[in-house]
Amino acid sequence: MSGQKLLEMNNITKYIYDSYGMPLRNTTIRILDEVDFNLDQGEVHILVGENGAGKSTLMRILGGEIPPDEGEILINGSQVIIHGPRNAQELGIGFIHQELNLCDNLTIAENIFIGKELRGRFMMKKKEMKAQAQVLLEEMGIHIDAATLVKNLSTAQKQIVEIAKVLSYDCRIIIMDEPTSSLTQKEIEILFRLIHQLRTKGISIIYISHRLEEFEHVGDRLSVLRDGRYIGTIPKEKFDTDTIVGMMVGRKLGSMYQNAHIPRGHPVLEVKNLQLEPDSAPITIHVNAGEVVGMGGLVGAGRTELAKSIFGYRKSYHGEIWYNGERINKAAPNTLVRKGMIYLTEDRKAEGLILEMNVSQNISLASLFKMFRTGLVRMGRENKLAEKSVDELSISCSTVSQLTNTLSGGNQQKVVLSKCMATEPRLLLLDEPTRGIDVGAKAEIYRMIDHLAIQGVAVLMISSDMPELIGMSDRIYVMRQGTVVGEITNKEEMLQENILSYTIGKENRERVSPV
Amino acid sequence: MQRTDKVKHTSSQQSLPVRFVKQYGSVVVFFILFIFSSLFIDRFFSVRNVLTIIKQAAVTVVACMGMMLILTTGGIDLSLGYTLGLCSIFLGILSIKLGLPAWQAVLLTLVLGALVGMLNGVIIQFLRVPPFIATLGVGYVLFGIAQIFGKGDAYYPLPDDLLALGMSRPLNGLYSILPKALQENDTIQQVSRLPSYVFIALFVLILIYILRHKTTYGRQLSAFGFNRATAKLSGINTARLHVMTYMISSTLVALASVMLTIRVNCAQSNLGGSNYTFEIVTAAVVGGTSLFGGISNVISCLFGCLITKSLENIVNLMAVNIYLYQPMMGLIILLAIVFEVYKNRKL
Repeated sequence: MSGQKLLEMNNITKYIYDSYGMPLRNTTIRILDEVDFNLDQGEVHILVGENGAGKSTLMRILGGEIPPDEGEILINGSQVIIHGPRNAQELGIGFIHQELNLCDNLTIAENIFIGKELRGRFMMKKKEMKAQAQVLLEEMGIHIDAATLVKNLSTAQKQIVEIAKVLSYDCRIIIMDEPTSSLTQKEIEILFRLIHQLRTKGISIIYISHRLEEFEHVGDRLSVLRDGRYIGTIPKEKFDTDTIVGMMVGRKLGSMYQNAHIPRGHPVLEVKNLQLEPDSAPITIHVNAGEVVGMGGLVGAGRTELAKSIFGYRKSYHGEIWYNGERINKAAPNTLVRKGMIYLTEDRKAEGLILEMNVSQNISLASLFKMFRTGLVRMGRENKLAEKSVDELSISCSTVSQLTNTLSGGNQQKVVLSKCMATEPRLLLLDEPTRGIDVGAKAEIYRMIDHLAIQGVAVLMISSDMPELIGMSDRIYVMRQGTVVGEITNKEEMLQENILSYTIGKENRERVSPV
Repeated sequence: MQRTDKVKHTSSQQSLPVRFVKQYGSVVVFFILFIFSSLFIDRFFSVRNVLTIIKQAAVTVVACMGMMLILTTGGIDLSLGYTLGLCSIFLGILSIKLGLPAWQAVLLTLVLGALVGMLNGVIIQFLRVPPFIATLGVGYVLFGIAQIFGKGDAYYPLPDDLLALGMSRPLNGLYSILPKALQENDTIQQVSRLPSYVFIALFVLILIYILRHKTTYGRQLSAFGFNRATAKLSGINTARLHVMTYMISSTLVALASVMLTIRVNCAQSNLGGSNYTFEIVTAAVVGGTSLFGGISNVISCLFGCLITKSLENIVNLMAVNIYLYQPMMGLIILLAIVFEVYKNRKL
């Protein structure tokens, strides 16, 4: 369990890149800032941190997917440069992504040997591959026929196939990115048993997870990253919720948040017992006029799905959605936009903008029906609207006929927000309104949200940015595993610790039985 | 932030000629082709020949406008040629066998076109079948139906009232009030004899120009072609837009069918020949329409049609092997697509 340092990563730094692919070295914001990380032979090392803390970037560097800008990586004490995922495999590093990379229509054996098929003179040696794969599976204590098609496997079994695939090239280090996020309780136990088995064989595992309750069952040590910085490492004996949460938070709240609006009484949106999936727990929330309601939780907790369900872009199950006293369960986005609801997507490039169109055309896109009732577009009026938005949100573009794919991320986001505002909404569903944009643009967007709320617009704001969530919201809901698990109504209780303990499910930590 | 934005502008802003060529490339190509052909090909540059090209292009333009709208959604209509044949047979049956008056026969034919478009659109939008396969399948069904009802025959000659719709000379009245000196002018004489279907095409061209470039429908169509998710999330009724576009397009094809049937004075199921669909797609792509959706322009499309028809005319005039026309069209569509990918590549 102990022994020499198998892996050392020292002073790993990754800069932010501009849109020309040049690193920005002279800013204080970095994706990774001199991060140290080390791994012993045969240990399970847990890596935690909020969304955007830099865990994935660090692991992608180790997996050879991206190069570090500075810093060194040592394996068994000798420095290595990892040239790519293939090279990482040769060095004995296996990366199991959160989204599994298996071909559904191939068998287990074919998946394990993909890219390194055993070949005879002309043909693949199918029998031999199957036999070897079977041995590998048996060694792991799993009794599935290696000729089974992967699409017939459960998620946990697929995960095991991924592990087998990694083991098939003699990996000494396995990176697991949120392996339990889509597993059932029983499947988690199987996985943990396998992890323990691997550990006794001297294989080291880097385990990325948000689930506090799992840590003491699986981990030997735990390291925390926050805002791209290495915070510290604690041994198993010191694993407790307060210590870990304390290490994960600890940022100061800025003063760029504006709160001049006053929530009014009547609810604009009411969701009653809505289920996002047929088997997920029901959700009941409401948003009042003039109120900014925050929606916290981890990526994948179902927040985007909830917003899209309300907006009629996604199917939901059971339950009722009421909007201004009208039931809108089956309404499509086009009807809802006409009724004054609009959704700002989290993925501005894929769902928010038409990148090939200009600023003015993008801003008017959602309100064409309202601006030009005759159906004839008048460019003058359209441009006037765009120029007004450009002024209000200080969008920096040369003219309103500049194509949006030449704008920076922050300006693109402002254009999408302008598009939403042009519809004169009464309910605004914001999904990560400030993701990936700079501080100046953020402040403009906060000002605009506050401004809308003053006018009585109801705002539901999904955000993974804790300070933003706390700074902007009048109330906060927290989602976890497809449902709302908590509501914080009191401004004094809006602390990162409180939100975090809901998101990682402190209250359910007893649910996992020891392995 | 300010600084980097400024740099971006200069790189994204292109000089006027470059932008003109990008948007109206086919106009430039047409004039080059026209000048060279006039210089080097006997009998090309004459009033009679130019008017022939215009007359031949008229039907193509109407069908091409429909194809352009569908290509703008990011789809394609491979049933176009078969729709043309079916509508022709239908028109023949209505007007010759059933003896309906011309306006009724034409109206019903246009309705049939709209129904075909609706079928295509519904299969593509609601059954999620890729446009390529859906329209090809529908096309074969239509062809079969046309064969069954047409019994492999052609219907001719068409009744006079139907022929009058396309073949009358609307400029004749104007011509007769001209002074004697001008009436004797050869060019004016020829122009005055232009048949009405040319003017129908002109009317359609103006109508589609407004629809494509001046209405909210046109804007939404373009947005839909570029990015469906954004369009839908921006409150555009994408399902209706999609199906409607196929309906408009097939109605135009039905109109083209009526025009062509009148022009050849014969209703037949293989009207326009077996490569008609391909010819129309070529004209649209040469006219700067993107096969990936979003980008299209009515004026460029018009010149795309003129280019393909001029080339056909040139092959005829040069009296070389007529089969040269097909490989040449194939080459041209390939070139046009390469050019399109090149001009729209992300810089």
